[in-house]
Amino acid sequence: MAVRIEKTFAVGDPIDKVWELLSDPRKVVSCLPGAKILEAVDDQTFKGAISVKVGPSLTEYKGEVRIVRLDEQSHMLELDGKGQDVRGKGGASMKMTGTLEAIEGGGTRVTAVSEVNVVGILAQFGGRMLTDVSDVIFKQFTERFQEKLKCPEAEPQAAAGPVKAVRVVGSALGQSIRRAFGGPDES
Amino acid sequence: MANTHHIRVRLNGVEKEADVEARLLLIHFIRDVAGQTGTHLGCDTTSCGACTVLLDGQPIKSCTFFAVQADGREILTVEGLVNGGKLHPLQEGFHQEHGLQCGFCTPGMLMSSLALLERNPNPTEEEIRWGISGNLCRCTGYQNIVKAVQHAAAKMHEGVPA
Amino acid sequence: MNQPTSFEIGGMGHSVKRKEDGRFIQGKGNYVDDVHLPGMVFGQVVRSPYGHARIKSIRIDEAIKVPGALAVITGADLAAAGLAWMPTLFHDQQMVLATGKVLFQAQEVAFCVAEGQYAAADMAELVEVEYEELPVLVDPHKALDPGAPILREDRAEKSNHIFHWEVGDRAATQKEMQGSPVTAKVDAVFQRCHPAPLETCGCVADFNPVTSKLTIWLTSQAPHAHRTLFAIVGGIPEQNIRVISPDIGGGFGNKVPIYPGYVCAVVASLKLGRPVKWMETRSENLQSTGFARDYHMTAEIAAERDGTVKALRVKTLADHGAFNAAAQPSKFPAGLFSICTGSYDFPKAFCEVDGVYTNKAPGGIAYRCSFRVTEAAYLIERAMDVLAQQLKMDPAELRLKNFIPPDKFPYQSPLGWTYDSGDYPAAMNLALKMAGYEDLRKEQAEKRAKGELMGIGISSFTEVVGAGPGHTFDIAGIKMFDSCEIRIHPTGKAIARLGTKSQGQGHETTFPQIIAQELGIPQSDIVLEEGDTDTAPYGLGTYASRSTPVAGAATAMAARKIRDKARKIAAHLLEVSEEDLEWEPGKFFVKGVPSKAKTIQDIAFAAYTNLPAGMEPGLEAVNYYDPPNLTFPFGTYICVVDLDKGTGEIKVRRFIAVDDCGNIINPMIVEGQIHGGLTEGLAIALMQLISYDESGNVQGGNFMDYLVPTAVETPNWETGKTCTPSPHHPIGAKGVGESPNVGSPAAFVNAVVDALSHLGVTHIDMPITSWKVWQILQEKGIS
Repeated sequence: MAVRIEKTFAVGDPIDKVWELLSDPRKVVSCLPGAKILEAVDDQTFKGAISVKVGPSLTEYKGEVRIVRLDEQSHMLELDGKGQDVRGKGGASMKMTGTLEAIEGGGTRVTAVSEVNVVGILAQFGGRMLTDVSDVIFKQFTERFQEKLKCPEAEPQAAAGPVKAVRVVGSALGQSIRRAFGGPDES
Repeated sequence: MANTHHIRVRLNGVEKEADVEARLLLIHFIRDVAGQTGTHLGCDTTSCGACTVLLDGQPIKSCTFFAVQADGREILTVEGLVNGGKLHPLQEGFHQEHGLQCGFCTPGMLMSSLALLERNPNPTEEEIRWGISGNLCRCTGYQNIVKAVQHAAAKMHEGVPA
Repeated sequence: MNQPTSFEIGGMGHSVKRKEDGRFIQGKGNYVDDVHLPGMVFGQVVRSPYGHARIKSIRIDEAIKVPGALAVITGADLAAAGLAWMPTLFHDQQMVLATGKVLFQAQEVAFCVAEGQYAAADMAELVEVEYEELPVLVDPHKALDPGAPILREDRAEKSNHIFHWEVGDRAATQKEMQGSPVTAKVDAVFQRCHPAPLETCGCVADFNPVTSKLTIWLTSQAPHAHRTLFAIVGGIPEQNIRVISPDIGGGFGNKVPIYPGYVCAVVASLKLGRPVKWMETRSENLQSTGFARDYHMTAEIAAERDGTVKALRVKTLADHGAFNAAAQPSKFPAGLFSICTGSYDFPKAFCEVDGVYTNKAPGGIAYRCSFRVTEAAYLIERAMDVLAQQLKMDPAELRLKNFIPPDKFPYQSPLGWTYDSGDYPAAMNLALKMAGYEDLRKEQAEKRAKGELMGIGISSFTEVVGAGPGHTFDIAGIKMFDSCEIRIHPTGKAIARLGTKSQGQGHETTFPQIIAQELGIPQSDIVLEEGDTDTAPYGLGTYASRSTPVAGAATAMAARKIRDKARKIAAHLLEVSEEDLEWEPGKFFVKGVPSKAKTIQDIAFAAYTNLPAGMEPGLEAVNYYDPPNLTFPFGTYICVVDLDKGTGEIKVRRFIAVDDCGNIINPMIVEGQIHGGLTEGLAIALMQLISYDESGNVQGGNFMDYLVPTAVETPNWETGKTCTPSPHHPIGAKGVGESPNVGSPAAFVNAVVDALSHLGVTHIDMPITSWKVWQILQEKGIS
């Protein structure tokens, strides 16, 4: 079950400062709720984990994140992540591309495109929810990214615990309902 | 031993007490703890209605309700329909109109129909179909179930002053 | 021979109210999940999340720490006992618990046993399995591509191709195709769906270590066959196995295969010496038990310009999932699919089917399919409509023109079937009359002029049931006879036991009616039992509409044996010779002297108290019936639909169903069967689909996504009947349970296509959802 999400947001900081954050995989991963880097295998490859709680179901994916491309010229980062739930609920893989673009007034536009593929139980139940849940996780990512830009040394709040997707589900559900009734999307 | 709660439920007119885990579903309380196996489990997504029982007179899906939530409350299942050895008009209706084949959906269907007739004693065919739309049946195609409910409605109307 | 019986006796044709109702309406049924035995423990299966993956490791140390945990069985444990694989019902083997790799999402990987149900579920959550993903194959059309992943490492032939099967005259059909002025073609997919009876599958396996007897309460449509298979596969002496099929909450073919959960429960019970209950959830049922259909078919009809058909050519790709577990007679890899010439007199025909493996759950034969007859009937009825549309001919007229005429029976079809009897024009004409067909067409023309979408769909199906004659039919080697044993008590009451097993078809009511007809004993005096292999005579069970054709025949034959003995006793009591006696239901009387009579009750008593010299006491008989042929029920269905231009919603306004199943035992029960089957046909045509995405994730694996019609979507069914008895069946009956599933999907589809045919639509694949219709309307610029 593949889901593609594209998000664009603008920050006031200059492109070089934003690139400094984006090109550091540990810092980027720390913005992803529930994720952590466990060890570096080499310059390009890291062992990591991410836990997601959808309702009462906690899924912990353990796997690898690999930097496929880090291009300072074009300010582009490409990451490849793949993990398996050890309890047998399935696996997920993700390709994320982040690009920066300088904008008028000295700020930076950040565009992040991710393709997430989920295999297993979540893909059955979560088919209809996957887009919305991924959306919410991504939204939290962009919020933390912006926080980290402001305070590069501070740890983002509640970094390492699993994404409490009860809340994720709640707001994802809210999003679906709002959409169904023609209300504004929160993205 | 996992954390348990002491509950007291009035099931088909009889008090039933037990110590149960918080996560015990009401249907399992009814079937396994109280031993009343008339109510059935047909799915795991609250979709089929086979588990329908009346809680304080309201039809609920007992698969999506915790036993602890039923503490101090009254439950009516299919086993509670027979009155003084006499079949309820709905039960009679299902038999007379061939409203069942394998019988698996029947208890839930009876409870939903009972709730329907209690709030709407003289339903139209459309109202009956909507009233039982939360109960799936694979065998009958519903046509004779509708007739069974109509049969019961007429019977229950008999003796009711105009 | 059918002398009418009184209401009290209740023989053939009486709408006797059902005996089995009493316990069901009071919630006192005894389904497998209602079975509670002292010391009983619970099993839960651990399932694969991947469609195709190697198993790298399985760790159970966390699972075994759960309070109440008793055991975890893995494929490796079973392999040690030679049980990791088991034979399927069709020349293949399947994994009981996966070893090496998994081949479909939800495949069984381990079995946890605990004191309580919830503890078993807790255990299953804690079993840690590490997988290495392999490329997934879910498109059957890609299964034979050079680069396709080879799924079955256990087979000598490293290919995803299971079988090729063909029948008919390829060359002659080709010649007709080339020589005929008109050819119509349709590519029709019969989608993967699932019978989804309301009760899921399960068992209680109870091995008694003191007596070495294994009792299995089982959701089984074929208890004897299952007993024999458990004996052969499990190495347990057959006399020590007792299979009890108690009340079954719907079968529809879902409860014919043997599932890994059953085997695991038996193994666990043998290991622990305690009863083990395994009941699957709905999701497990939809994702791992025997699915139905998944036939990708092409039909070509060659015809004259006036619509006379000359030849039929059919090519099919069959998606069998990961194992060939199709539950069908052993010489028929595509079941009875070659009935695809249907009700029409095709001079030439050719049919070929290729089966392939994919990363999906195994199965294929289920959902009232009569062994692939549903696929065949759908295909021919769709193809005839495509031909009618092409020729701008009325679909009823085209069918009437091509029906096998009544005087051509027994009819030899070009694909090898001998149809026993049929009068297709009679059924069609009755259906047209009931529908008010001419007025409907007028109404359609008027509505069309106003831009409204109304469609009329016809399906004139012939199907084939009652498997089957021993010379051709067997399942896993066991011939497909069936049986009935009748014993009359001194007071004239009786008990009968059959080798079949009702899952709602009302056998406790209908089979006594056959005996009532033959012997004149009131049906209410006859008790009927099925399902306990320790007491019932051997039979192949209830599916494929075979109970009435086969066990019903056995019942009549056993009753007639009893009547023969009764005649001798009557002659003795009346002191006349047998030739001087005449029979009417319930009594023998002296020819010309009706007052000199003995009732069957008198005779029964005499069988125990006053016998002719040298006669064995008692009054009982058993018959094992090997049918000489199959039977061919048929009918015409007409469906009227209205489509909503804005939403694409399909409203079934009317559905007329004329069925001919020969002589009818209980009209009320037959009508109920038709209602239920038509509702399943509606579900298949408009709502149901089990599909897999490119990663092998199953979609439609629970009741939120796999839809069952409620009372709101289901219309009122208008039923009618004609009666063309089967010439070879002792009571002239044909069986009817599956006819509505066989005939109705095409009626629904033909109706929707008909509603859109003026826009150029010739075919829409099922399920025809409002979304599909809406898309077509958008495409055609209609709103």
